[in-house]
Amino acid sequence: MQRRTFLSLGGALLAGSALAGWTLGRGDGGPLLLSARDDAQGGHHAVGYRLDGQRVFSCRVTERCHDVVPHPFLPLALFVGRRPSRESYLLDTRDGRLLQTLHSRQDRHFQGHAVFHRDGEYLYSTENDTREPGRGVIGVYRLEQNLLQHSGELSSHGVGPHQLLWMPDGDTLVIANGGIRTEADSRVEMNLDAMDASLVLLSRDGRLLSRERLAEQQNSVRHLAVARDGTVVSGQQYMGDGHEQAALLAIKRPGQAFRPFALGEAQRQAMNQYTASVAIHDELRLLALTAPRGNRFFIWNLDSETLLLDVPLADCAGVAATAEGFVVSSGQGRCRHYDCRSPSIRMRPLELPAGLWDNHLRLA
Amino acid sequence: MQTSFRLLGSLALTLALAACAPQDPHQKVSAALASNVLLPAYHGWSEANRTLEQSARAFCAGEQDLTQARQHFSAAQSAWAALQPLAVGPLSEGNRAWQVQFWPDKKNLVGRQVERLVQSNPQLDAAALGKASVVVQGLSAYEYLLFDPALDLADDSQKARYCPMLQAIASHQRGLADEVLNLWEGEQGMAAMLRSTPNTRYPDGREALGELLRTQVSALDGLKKKLGTPLGRQSKGVAQPFQAEAWRSKASLANLAAALASAEQVWRGNDDNGVRSLPGAQHQNLVKRIDEAFSDTRKRLAAQQRPLGEALADPAAREELDALYDSLDRLHRLHESELSRALEIPLGFNAHDGD
Repeated sequence: MQRRTFLSLGGALLAGSALAGWTLGRGDGGPLLLSARDDAQGGHHAVGYRLDGQRVFSCRVTERCHDVVPHPFLPLALFVGRRPSRESYLLDTRDGRLLQTLHSRQDRHFQGHAVFHRDGEYLYSTENDTREPGRGVIGVYRLEQNLLQHSGELSSHGVGPHQLLWMPDGDTLVIANGGIRTEADSRVEMNLDAMDASLVLLSRDGRLLSRERLAEQQNSVRHLAVARDGTVVSGQQYMGDGHEQAALLAIKRPGQAFRPFALGEAQRQAMNQYTASVAIHDELRLLALTAPRGNRFFIWNLDSETLLLDVPLADCAGVAATAEGFVVSSGQGRCRHYDCRSPSIRMRPLELPAGLWDNHLRLA
Repeated sequence: MQTSFRLLGSLALTLALAACAPQDPHQKVSAALASNVLLPAYHGWSEANRTLEQSARAFCAGEQDLTQARQHFSAAQSAWAALQPLAVGPLSEGNRAWQVQFWPDKKNLVGRQVERLVQSNPQLDAAALGKASVVVQGLSAYEYLLFDPALDLADDSQKARYCPMLQAIASHQRGLADEVLNLWEGEQGMAAMLRSTPNTRYPDGREALGELLRTQVSALDGLKKKLGTPLGRQSKGVAQPFQAEAWRSKASLANLAAALASAEQVWRGNDDNGVRSLPGAQHQNLVKRIDEAFSDTRKRLAAQQRPLGEALADPAAREELDALYDSLDRLHRLHESELSRALEIPLGFNAHDGD
């Protein structure tokens, strides 16, 4: 398909959406919150809610999903299967209609994260090569007529890749290679004594630009946030003993080396060696992190690395920046909004269904 | 968008105010448990630690004998064990629980680190102990000093060697218990958060109750681990008597009983105002089964007359312990699956099964 065809197709979708009353801007209920969520019986769903509580859709899916990847301008999103899933789901975010069940190729499973390129034509997904378990690959898919078609593969230049994001240039990928080897259809860690986690910068054509590691060998680099100025923050999960000290939060400022974030000892201990989602607020220069094993939510100043908020939040899960601050979900309690515009951060519970929200959320 | 957020804010407040009205059953149970079960237990723990601090001083001054010192330790340990199903808030935060008890201790870190510290710092005080590893700050180290077979604090020279540490631990524990009790009391304290919502911690009574239930479920799971580990459930059935909690003071089963009694209080409340009062008429069969499960576990535990270490060596007693484990397992599962579903309180899964 030629680029022109693709764009005109997008145009058709856009025209359709305008007819349906959907606008590229936000509806009155605020941005659309996209996330995986379970029901009380353990069924898995891909859901979309307005922040005022209005349900836009809830689509029952077979596999539990992890991250959600909204298309940069079309009303579609890929709900990525949680590892070691072999399915991801492409949905129309206006009504939750399932457009495609994307199957991983033979000898590959999804690792839970993906990104659309800013042009909207290609999607990149972290995957595991199950013939050579642990070898990280980036599956490349092309969007054609609202369907994703496999079109190629890159190396992640590491073991067990998890989240990946774009650097601000929109053409360089930053990849969290978790360092953990797992087999097909399994979540069991096979190499805890020989883990190799890394933070990789990769050009879109597959060229390795840099690969950096943290000091602790059992520290799994998992989740990422990238600021507009190119600052990368990573959240770790430490697989060693509970009382050992590891850099659970790390930062790579533009042109500088990847290094531990200035984390207070009390906050590090409170995380119970486990971080879930990280998010950056570009306008307010803030960093937010959920730590569901410690049941705590944190906000820091991204520039000074000083702590601004450290609060209990049961089983906190996804976090994303809003105009005023951050929205946070929870596997147990209600979703919260934190207004960070003044020095005293104000929390407000949201009128969304409580609990059963999965690890990540996106605002579209 | 700002306007809509503001509108949303007032809406949230209205709903939250409605939720905190006295008729909200979750709020009622959470408030009753905070006042009648949790706060008294934290008072009890604090008092037991005051007594422990006095006991350490008296023992080291020759005013108490080893038997008395051991009794006061056992009282403090039992008060701590009773807090397990009640460990919401401060005790589950800031590394505090580790400072009281270091378990599991697979590599005998407690014994080794106590000896190393006594060697390197013979005149240890509470301030220096506060900077040391959590392994040596708590009851596990105190128990080692008073009960380890290789030590004998009835002997004067040994007593002189270990007494500074014994007193330092007792002071550290007293300070910790006082700090936690302070965080429970007062206008912004944990008890107030559980009694009345919305507040900075809980937007509504359901969420407060949810945290109590989650703590209960994870404590029951913890009791399974505390019994299952020495029973060899994680080691192909080979008994591991020295992996038991409180094996030195032979209080493993007594600790289980203290924790189970608290869990039953969370269930019943002090006047049938506990979690038990929440399931509706259609769930009364479940209520009955949980009543029976508590009673079954309690009776099986009470039937164990000998310390766990001895029972593990006796095949007949081993069978009884296995049956006790199964009973605990039933109790845990009833809470974890059926009760949480009946109350429509999600226990969360990101913490247990994250990615």
